[in-house]
Amino acid sequence: MLDLLWHGLVNVAQWKYLFPLFAGTFIGVIGGSLPGVTITMTVIVVLPFTYGLDPLAGLAAMTGVYVGGSTGGLIACCLLGIPGSPASIATTFDGFPMARNGEPGRAIWLGVWASVWGGLLGALFLVFLTGPLAAIALEFGPWEYFSLFVLAMAMVAGLTESSLLKGLISTAIGLLITVVGHDPIGSVPRFTFGSEFIGGGFPFLPVLIGIFAFAQIMTDLEKLDGSRGQPAQSLAGVRLERFSHLKVNIEIFRQPFLLAWATIVGLIIGILPAIGGSASSVMAYDQAKKFSKTPQLFGKGHPEGIIASEASNNANVSGSLMTIMAFGIPGDAVTAVMLGAMTIHGIQSGPLFISQNPDLAYGIYAAYILAHPCMLLICVALMPLMLRVTSVRMAVLAPVVLVLCVVGAYALNNTMQSVYVLLLFGVVGYVLVKLGFPLAPLILGLILGDQIEINLVRAIMTDPNPLLFLTRPISGVLLLAAVASVVLAIWQHLRHQNRVVEEEPDF
Amino acid sequence: MSIGRDGIAGLVLLAISLVLLVKSFQLPSLPIVPVGPGFYPAIVLSFMAAASALLVLQDLMKGRPAAAAAATVTPSRNYRLVAIAFAIVGAYVVLLPLLGFRLATVLFVGALQAALGRPQTARQWTVLAAIAIGTAMVSYFIFERYLLVLLPRGAWTGF
Repeated sequence: MLDLLWHGLVNVAQWKYLFPLFAGTFIGVIGGSLPGVTITMTVIVVLPFTYGLDPLAGLAAMTGVYVGGSTGGLIACCLLGIPGSPASIATTFDGFPMARNGEPGRAIWLGVWASVWGGLLGALFLVFLTGPLAAIALEFGPWEYFSLFVLAMAMVAGLTESSLLKGLISTAIGLLITVVGHDPIGSVPRFTFGSEFIGGGFPFLPVLIGIFAFAQIMTDLEKLDGSRGQPAQSLAGVRLERFSHLKVNIEIFRQPFLLAWATIVGLIIGILPAIGGSASSVMAYDQAKKFSKTPQLFGKGHPEGIIASEASNNANVSGSLMTIMAFGIPGDAVTAVMLGAMTIHGIQSGPLFISQNPDLAYGIYAAYILAHPCMLLICVALMPLMLRVTSVRMAVLAPVVLVLCVVGAYALNNTMQSVYVLLLFGVVGYVLVKLGFPLAPLILGLILGDQIEINLVRAIMTDPNPLLFLTRPISGVLLLAAVASVVLAIWQHLRHQNRVVEEEPDF
Repeated sequence: MSIGRDGIAGLVLLAISLVLLVKSFQLPSLPIVPVGPGFYPAIVLSFMAAASALLVLQDLMKGRPAAAAAATVTPSRNYRLVAIAFAIVGAYVVLLPLLGFRLATVLFVGALQAALGRPQTARQWTVLAAIAIGTAMVSYFIFERYLLVLLPRGAWTGF
């Protein structure tokens, strides 16, 4: 294994892979530091550039974006008090107060270094645990896969803050989009209404880009009039105070348990299908506060809050990569785009991925590991630029991002049809967001729809007894967990409602 | 009892689910497969119909806050700008195969920038034009020359 890893590192250290990795990391850091631009959006922007590249070069670039974006978000957190990307949300709680207390350099570099160490610790798990996880996945039959996908969807719908019902409907819409076109078994056209336009179904990536990118950009545009400038207490353009990198590292390693625990929390959240970096950041922050000897300092510029959030969101990347490589299902929306890119290159992700494509698999490990020193180098060399980048206007950013979205859709098969699908689902995504439907469950439904159907039909073709979904141990446990997840979500929702009712007399 | 936004959304989704559910029952069955092509869509659509119906019910049972109270907490949103942005993107998608990537992209980037923040001085207009031309040219060269992606040529311009 270590031989293969060494081979992977040497391979990726070649210019033809290192350049895309470095460029991807750079774009990731910049994209992450721009408020309103998520990592998913950045990876969507980079996607069309990877079509013409060698598969490993393309995946290295995307891995770089993922790692860079997870770190870049902290700059806006510390200077503007708003997260550059959702994955950094909890960094805002202590990063901004610390920066306002006159230590913006300490806040930013604590975050950068915690990201590096959290990410590299996560790499250990990525390298050594992905293989055993894939071995477990090999034991899965269609019943287990079906139940695993149901669990993933139940968890994501259950995590929806606004309404569980809307989360479930959103999942169903995602699943419904995938059934349009020819059915996977007999190629019978479904819901095409005789139209050639949708005869082949909706292509995955234009739908994903349309729903995600348009919904986000248009929602940002709504606020343009009110927030042309920076927030009132913004520190954009501030000069960082003199500080020591050594001291920052000592500060991090003085609390090895915090670093390790935040990494593990991030990793576990990353492994769970479709739950992204924002959940890992908030959960690790919450854990750090619970375990801290000084919980009263959290929210006032406490270094532990920054370390937990940033170590966790970078470890989350390794967890997401584990899920995609072991199970063939994306850990979040970013890895969904990566999965789409792998499909374009004819690579089948899943439990056999590592054994059938060892060069590629260990290349991805190596790219993930090397992305961290690249990210550190970029931060050291270009910090003054990044401090200014947070103030780029949306009027400049939105058209450029939209052009790249259109090119990304068009370049898939060089037809305008994909661009029309992009626009159609752009409108759908925006309308759904305005109606309060969460997009994460929809995207998961979209990603898993085909696989759910194939595994369901395969299971029934193997044995028509539907009770097997419950009586096969792993499948049964997964379905039970799915039910528990929905019940828990309902309970939490009701508890929240009761609390609101109880609090009402106070007002 | 009055219906709100969620209720209307639920009703629309319920109607779509029911229409497609009927369609899924009309799909032909296959001789060698125990379940037909309509089996899985019917499950998804039944689930969606049930959840949509529940959403309508939930909305009907929910008390409505006074309009004035709601207005005080809702931040101002510039929906006109969103409509203009969608219209410009729509025009770009229409013009792309007619004018070609380079020309349509210059017009699109320029128009959207102007819509989002109207330049006031000659210098601002120059920056806007530079960004529009730069975006079109840089993306064209990177994709066509280095990544071998053939971008749309204009049916009207041949460019």
